[in-house]
Amino acid sequence: MLFTTVGNKTGYYISIIFLCVLVFLWLLPIIFMVSLSLQPNELLVVSTAKLAFGLLPSPVTIKNYMRLLGIDQTPRWFLNSAIVSVVSTACVLFLSSAAGYAFAKIEFSGKKLVYAFILAGLMIPREGVFISLYTLFSDLKLHNTYFSLIIPNLAVPLGTILMTQFLLGVPKEFEEAAQIDGANRWYIFSKIMIPIARPALSTLAIITFLATWNSYLWPLVTTQETNMFTITVGLASSQQGYFEEALGSIMAQGVIASFPVVLLFLIFQKNLVKGIVVQSK
Amino acid sequence: MLSKRAKTNLQAYMFVGPLLAVYTIFMVYPFFKNFWISFHEWNLLEVAFNPDAKEFIGIKNYLRTAWGRQLVWELGALWKIQLLAFIGLLISGWGYLRRWWGIRVLIIGVLFSITLFILLGFQPSEHGRWFDKRFWIAVRNTLVFVLGSVPPIMLIGLLLAVLINYPNRVMGAFRTLFYLSSVLSVTVITLIWKFMFSPFQGLPANVMKVLGREPIVWTVNPDLAMPSIIIATVWWVIGFPMIVLLAGLQDIPVEQYEAARIDGANAFALFSYITLPGLRRPLIFVLLYEVISQFQIFGQAHLLTAGGPGDATNTMVRYIYNTGFRDNEIGRAGAMAVFLFVFMGIFSFVYLQISSRKQID
Repeated sequence: MLFTTVGNKTGYYISIIFLCVLVFLWLLPIIFMVSLSLQPNELLVVSTAKLAFGLLPSPVTIKNYMRLLGIDQTPRWFLNSAIVSVVSTACVLFLSSAAGYAFAKIEFSGKKLVYAFILAGLMIPREGVFISLYTLFSDLKLHNTYFSLIIPNLAVPLGTILMTQFLLGVPKEFEEAAQIDGANRWYIFSKIMIPIARPALSTLAIITFLATWNSYLWPLVTTQETNMFTITVGLASSQQGYFEEALGSIMAQGVIASFPVVLLFLIFQKNLVKGIVVQSK
Repeated sequence: MLSKRAKTNLQAYMFVGPLLAVYTIFMVYPFFKNFWISFHEWNLLEVAFNPDAKEFIGIKNYLRTAWGRQLVWELGALWKIQLLAFIGLLISGWGYLRRWWGIRVLIIGVLFSITLFILLGFQPSEHGRWFDKRFWIAVRNTLVFVLGSVPPIMLIGLLLAVLINYPNRVMGAFRTLFYLSSVLSVTVITLIWKFMFSPFQGLPANVMKVLGREPIVWTVNPDLAMPSIIIATVWWVIGFPMIVLLAGLQDIPVEQYEAARIDGANAFALFSYITLPGLRRPLIFVLLYEVISQFQIFGQAHLLTAGGPGDATNTMVRYIYNTGFRDNEIGRAGAMAVFLFVFMGIFSFVYLQISSRKQID
């Protein structure tokens, strides 16, 4: 808007061209990764700059991807990440919308206190409690399980706050009509509130899925057995050794690890943007 | 038979209960247990074999972490940073007088500045030393990282938001492309940048070779290790501030621009008298949000540079992780985490104060 003060079409097109160049430069590292993943390892040891500084693959091969699907543990890690992210997201949606419904729509004793208690959780840095969380799961003998990978993702206040804020904006008439018809609270929650809250739920879903898929510190701490690694931890373990000789393979691993989040982002980006904006208000 | 009131309460707690239980057991309880751990001599491996192997030692872990032998208080080596405390004092007072914020922020600002001034004065005398010099190096590195990354994040985020602020599809497309890097995980972005920074296989190195220059050595150079982490981080997280500021820009009424333009204002005047004041709230939000999240930096420092060279990029969370899980001293690591809580708590508190949520009644 600022640069349309020029007021003519030329200014508009100049700024669009400038932005295209900027976006291209910004995405270079990602293009570089994809290009490297499509080249044979043996050639990359010699040079990564065969064509256009290495931005275009030459010669093209999908061997790196095939190898990852065959002998490597990558498919297992991918599956672990998928299970953890899907289950965590489903649970967060249920827990947050149920709690949000009670906070927004039911008058009960201790409501303000409990809500403040949950709000206060925003002040606890997530990267600060992993030591005691580790001892807790040690006592329960639950390390290296899906349970330990999933449960800490559910103990966050953000979802409840988002759902409460959204449901507070739903007019009273919706549930009053149902109450007159003698509907119980579970019915009102599941048949009236959930459908109304669908936009907020998709927003919460995409935020939670991205955060879970990408989380690193807690999965790193709680998994010691390589077959329980998530894809983030697995990728980190691959890049900590000497791997210049397997550059193509590890870049392919990176591409596979990013594929689901990029896809979901492209589909649900409107919801994600909405979620970010709501947080900032 | 339950009264109606009791029945409502019961029903409400059945909705809130599951979340409350998970949140209490896996967030609040670990938070408080961390304090308990920090008061013990607690070796992870020994306690795993014998639960009684821990020993209560009071605040000794805190002293080991942050204190030293023969410390003195003086306006010393850090006097320049100590002076910053006075600037903090001035800013909090000025903002209060200008009614940018209320009495609460003023009190926090003043207390924070005075505490900073006093704490920075402590240093080892000639024959003294810190008990754990590496902790303070990690604190310094974390602050350098936050101070080095947050301003560029805000500036570039603002620049991108202003550039792509068109009322049509074009904006959506650019927004998507610039946000793309932010959906990648930290292990993917460190993988990418490890190779971008490689003097043998990296993209900039390839370009340099063609130009006939020596490639820059990034991550193993003590002077460039922190900048390389900052570059990777800014590239990674820029999407969030861009979207927040873009939304802020679109909340500014178009009429204000039109009126000013009729009065003959140029682009610079429009930006400094309408755009910037209109973005005050989103800018403060982004500032606090980024300080809070960048303070917890772990992955980039752990994977891109492994805290090195030397301790040049060892950050607080990474030092806590290494103390706890490499050296197995989780008592000491717990005490360090408490220092993290204090730093973070201050910013999170201000963050909660300024957010305008609908109140529940």
